[in-house]
Amino acid sequence: MEQETGIVFNVQRYTIHDGPGIRTELFLKGCPLSCKWCGNPESHKPYIQAGIYPSKCLGLDKCGSCVKQCGQGALLFRDGKLAAIEKERCANCVKCAEACPADAIKQWGKKITVAEAMEVIRKDIPYYKNSGGGVTVSGGEPLLQAGFVAGLFEECKKEGVHTCLETTLCPEWDVVARTLPVTDLYISDVKHMDSAVHKKYTGIGNERILENIERLTRAGKPLILRIPVIPGVNDAEENMEATADFLCGKLEGKILQLQLLEFMRLGEEKYASLCIPYPMEGIEVDKDKFSEKVKGFAAYFNRRGIPCIAGTTTKEGKKDE
Amino acid sequence: MSKKHPCGTEPYDMNYGVGYRVGHDDFSPYERVNRLRSVFLDRKFNIDIQRARLVTQAYQEHPDASPKMKTAYALKNILENVEIQIYDDELIVGELAAPAKAAPIYPEFSVEWIIDELLHHPFDQREHDKFYITEEDREELLGLLEFWRGKTVADAVEAAMDEEHRKGSEMGKRVYMTNLYHFGGIGHFVMDYEKLLRVGYQGLIAEAKENLAAARREAEASGQLESPEYLEKKEFYEAMEMELQASCDYIKRFVPLALLQSVEEQDPKRKMELLQIAENCRQIAGGPAATMWQAIQLWHFATTITLIESNGHSVSYGRMDQWLYPYYEQDIENHEISKEFAQELLECAYVKMGNPSKLKDRMTVRVRNGRGWGGESLTIGGVNENGNDVTNDLTFMMLEASVHTRMMNPWLCVRMHKGTPRELRVKAVECIRAGYGHPKLFNDDAAIEAMRRKGMSLEEARNYEVVGCVEPDLAGQEYGLHDAAYMNLAKVLELALNGGRCIGCGSGCPRYAQCAGAGKSLGPDTGRLTECKSMEEVLASFDRQVNYWTGLMCEGINLIDEAHRKLKPIPYASAFFEGCMQQGKDLGEGGARYNFTGPQASGIGTCADALSTIKQLVFDEKKYTGEELMQAIADNWEGHDVLYALVNSGKVHHYGNDDDYADELFQEVFNCYCRNVSNRKNPRGGTFCPGVYTVNANVSLGMDLAASLDGRKAGEPLSDNMGPVHTQMASHDISGPTAIANSVTKVDHSLATNGTLLNWKFPPECVAGEEGRENLVGFIGAYFSKKAMHCQFNIMSSEMMRAAMKKPEDYKDMLVRVAGYSAYFVELGKPLQMDLIHRTELSF
Repeated sequence: MEQETGIVFNVQRYTIHDGPGIRTELFLKGCPLSCKWCGNPESHKPYIQAGIYPSKCLGLDKCGSCVKQCGQGALLFRDGKLAAIEKERCANCVKCAEACPADAIKQWGKKITVAEAMEVIRKDIPYYKNSGGGVTVSGGEPLLQAGFVAGLFEECKKEGVHTCLETTLCPEWDVVARTLPVTDLYISDVKHMDSAVHKKYTGIGNERILENIERLTRAGKPLILRIPVIPGVNDAEENMEATADFLCGKLEGKILQLQLLEFMRLGEEKYASLCIPYPMEGIEVDKDKFSEKVKGFAAYFNRRGIPCIAGTTTKEGKKDE
Repeated sequence: MSKKHPCGTEPYDMNYGVGYRVGHDDFSPYERVNRLRSVFLDRKFNIDIQRARLVTQAYQEHPDASPKMKTAYALKNILENVEIQIYDDELIVGELAAPAKAAPIYPEFSVEWIIDELLHHPFDQREHDKFYITEEDREELLGLLEFWRGKTVADAVEAAMDEEHRKGSEMGKRVYMTNLYHFGGIGHFVMDYEKLLRVGYQGLIAEAKENLAAARREAEASGQLESPEYLEKKEFYEAMEMELQASCDYIKRFVPLALLQSVEEQDPKRKMELLQIAENCRQIAGGPAATMWQAIQLWHFATTITLIESNGHSVSYGRMDQWLYPYYEQDIENHEISKEFAQELLECAYVKMGNPSKLKDRMTVRVRNGRGWGGESLTIGGVNENGNDVTNDLTFMMLEASVHTRMMNPWLCVRMHKGTPRELRVKAVECIRAGYGHPKLFNDDAAIEAMRRKGMSLEEARNYEVVGCVEPDLAGQEYGLHDAAYMNLAKVLELALNGGRCIGCGSGCPRYAQCAGAGKSLGPDTGRLTECKSMEEVLASFDRQVNYWTGLMCEGINLIDEAHRKLKPIPYASAFFEGCMQQGKDLGEGGARYNFTGPQASGIGTCADALSTIKQLVFDEKKYTGEELMQAIADNWEGHDVLYALVNSGKVHHYGNDDDYADELFQEVFNCYCRNVSNRKNPRGGTFCPGVYTVNANVSLGMDLAASLDGRKAGEPLSDNMGPVHTQMASHDISGPTAIANSVTKVDHSLATNGTLLNWKFPPECVAGEEGRENLVGFIGAYFSKKAMHCQFNIMSSEMMRAAMKKPEDYKDMLVRVAGYSAYFVELGKPLQMDLIHRTELSF
């Protein structure tokens, strides 16, 4: 198990948003969904990629380290500065990123073994213990690398580290089931209750996701559900009502909490780094108004008997009187 | 805020609000406290010349008296004649021989800079730390100061130092800075308040008399009545007695003042208060404290008089929740006082602590911004001599007073240990995330071990309190010269890599004639990077260079120590130290039971990352040569863009990322400094204790320094205290707070017996809500379980600080945590403000 390898695009220590307490979070690469509002475009492809940050480029006259490494001629320059990577030519060898001294080319994704991941995880065990935290694996869709996840969580459990899996729950139930014995908490999304709309904005229908959610709750697994509330996509009252019906009906209210994540423009610079357009470009939101709306939904869910908050924290801050 | 919350009885997890509210917000539930605070903030910083006048008079009237007696005559003259006030609303009275918030002058220590600045760099024209003086006073002051030329402590220091001592100090190339005690008093101790409150001034006077009588009997018996030893003792006791008696008489002066004011007072409640103030002063002008109110008043007088005798700062308050507790307990049990009133008294005392202001020279102000005295630490919590937790009501009330007053003073320190009650951990974190810079936290595990290393018994070590920024100290027993110097280790590394020469050595340097012009170099030639064959050779050169400069620094400090001993004894303050009282020896003569000297290292992170650059690029990867690296910093990185980017990128190992490669080099530098300073001898029979904190000297020490191999350009700040490197190009710590905490705790903090310091900066959103609080409580617990000694927090966003720079008038009372101390952000110099903004804001 320790030799199982995963492709991880970020290992973040001291995260506090995905699961309780202080956590180390691993983001796994590759996702079968293509949600328009996704803030982590570097997670989409299941392989290692290079991303560019042209403002940091020192220029061909001063540096040029990357060009020497690229056998494909995939790097495009304008006025002597790195401007783009031509995807069609790029072999994703990331030698350019390795050579760049200025962090102008970043390597998205890195192969690591379970043993290597555990080395990082172990460093922060005292912080997990003191805060009720642990390890979260997210993505992408981590279950595309289910062997790695299961292997990693098995090691975590051996050391008494709390495990949390954030997944779209779109894979086959059998794949999800592999993680059941070693996962303490699941986090998943209900992005839209209408499968056709779901497909329009994420690329796939919602049937299997909803079915997996149901099976997870039936298996008695602690589950936090989230709705990324996206203007014009799923912020109609009917959708919220349908979600509430689903939670109260099929799930019998058996979730820990529903978290409403208000849409924010996130990851624009990462889209640019991959030379792909930002799909939410045209969306302008009146932040205050939209926040109010999301809070209104939270109140609605609470009235329906569903523990729900706007945001990711599991406990709300008390207000100073 | 109305009086909704009964004070001192707020629930332990009371949320004080996250983030900072600016303007004269009323943080306290007591209208009186809010008024006092507001009046304080609006008052101008003036210079007051009464003390200068009275001390000059005394020295002129007693030209042949010994320095001890001169000190005594001076203090007596001041206390008898200085104008005294009782301000509106006050419950605790008495100022610093000047009106509230005005700075007195201490010509005994140094006058050249005052004369120079009065004539050429007016105090009210400074960019920051401005002070105001009337034209009339300015003229009189210039006249008074003439008398002191050539007679001050600074003059004696300068006369004692030869070329070797000058060349690396503030008088030369600033390899280290000893300016604090060169130009001013020493302070940095905690008086035995417990005893004072118990026996009163007359108790101390009686003890001095008895001890003198005993010494006399002994001298008589051995025919030593004319011996210099006996005469010194006799003089010491006589000076002390004169000063203690003058203190009683001074306190008595407040009785008629309060009575007269009470007669004029229309408000019946205030009338009663004034009568009680008169009664309090009558009692403690000699007698012990009978109530909590009197105890606080006596503590305040006793401390203030110490600050009138000498201008040494960081005169700290010790474990106040412990020594004040018996008075609180007794008053509550006897129903003499309500918990609410006890709380109000504490808050009034806190605001009062902010009044003393100190005029500092231009150079010191560069190192240490802020017009307060600084360093008045107040310690709460922790264990008793048996190792049991001592948290009590006052521990919580003192935290609450802090969050209700949000002043620079006191510098509240919470001792934490395994048995610290959860309630206290939560309360401390609630205050921290209110975002006003207090309190700082100390870990008993590490601090007690540091005290043990200083040679104290376990029982004594467990009773430590904090002095100044972060220095563990023992009340009434230790004279630690805790803030004796700042060593610029980044400069030392520069010399170690460059054959003892400064980078950019040339005829433009004012010292060129003495150094290179004379065929010499500033430091010894211990090696050159261009010739080193291995990392070991580089580290050996650094070690030899550190040895050389710590040697000179310690000699220099010892000369300063001796100048103070000769010219400016402090018999009054000595009365509060058991060893001095028993042996008849002044603090400066080594009268205290424990005598240490504590100089600090600055720029360890800078050195670690510079060494990491060398190790990785030159010796391990062999991508660059030593010549190329040295050329790059000689050129201030101009034309070395690739190398500059690389050194500032994640591709080079950096300290603060839980990466052993760089962290081991941090350990090397940390241990090297501690090893080279520990156990050197001082003239008071004690030893040197290394500290690893810099207050904000990292900014000014960086200003004078050429570029360095960590990727820092010339003039940028050094790394801050124990923290990682932040250059203009990049923050070198990119792995989050747990990684920093792990890196920082790879060294043995207790080796730095004079303390270590780590600043955290978290944005408010990260600590919001109950979960944010729990995470911070958990994080601190885990960090301390790794034996870190200290940490403190700024919970404030960079945006907020940028906004304050743009509109300072709206942010007048915005406190930030600078190093060991909190300061008003808008009063700091621009470079320090920018440094604070650049210190990585951690988000998680």
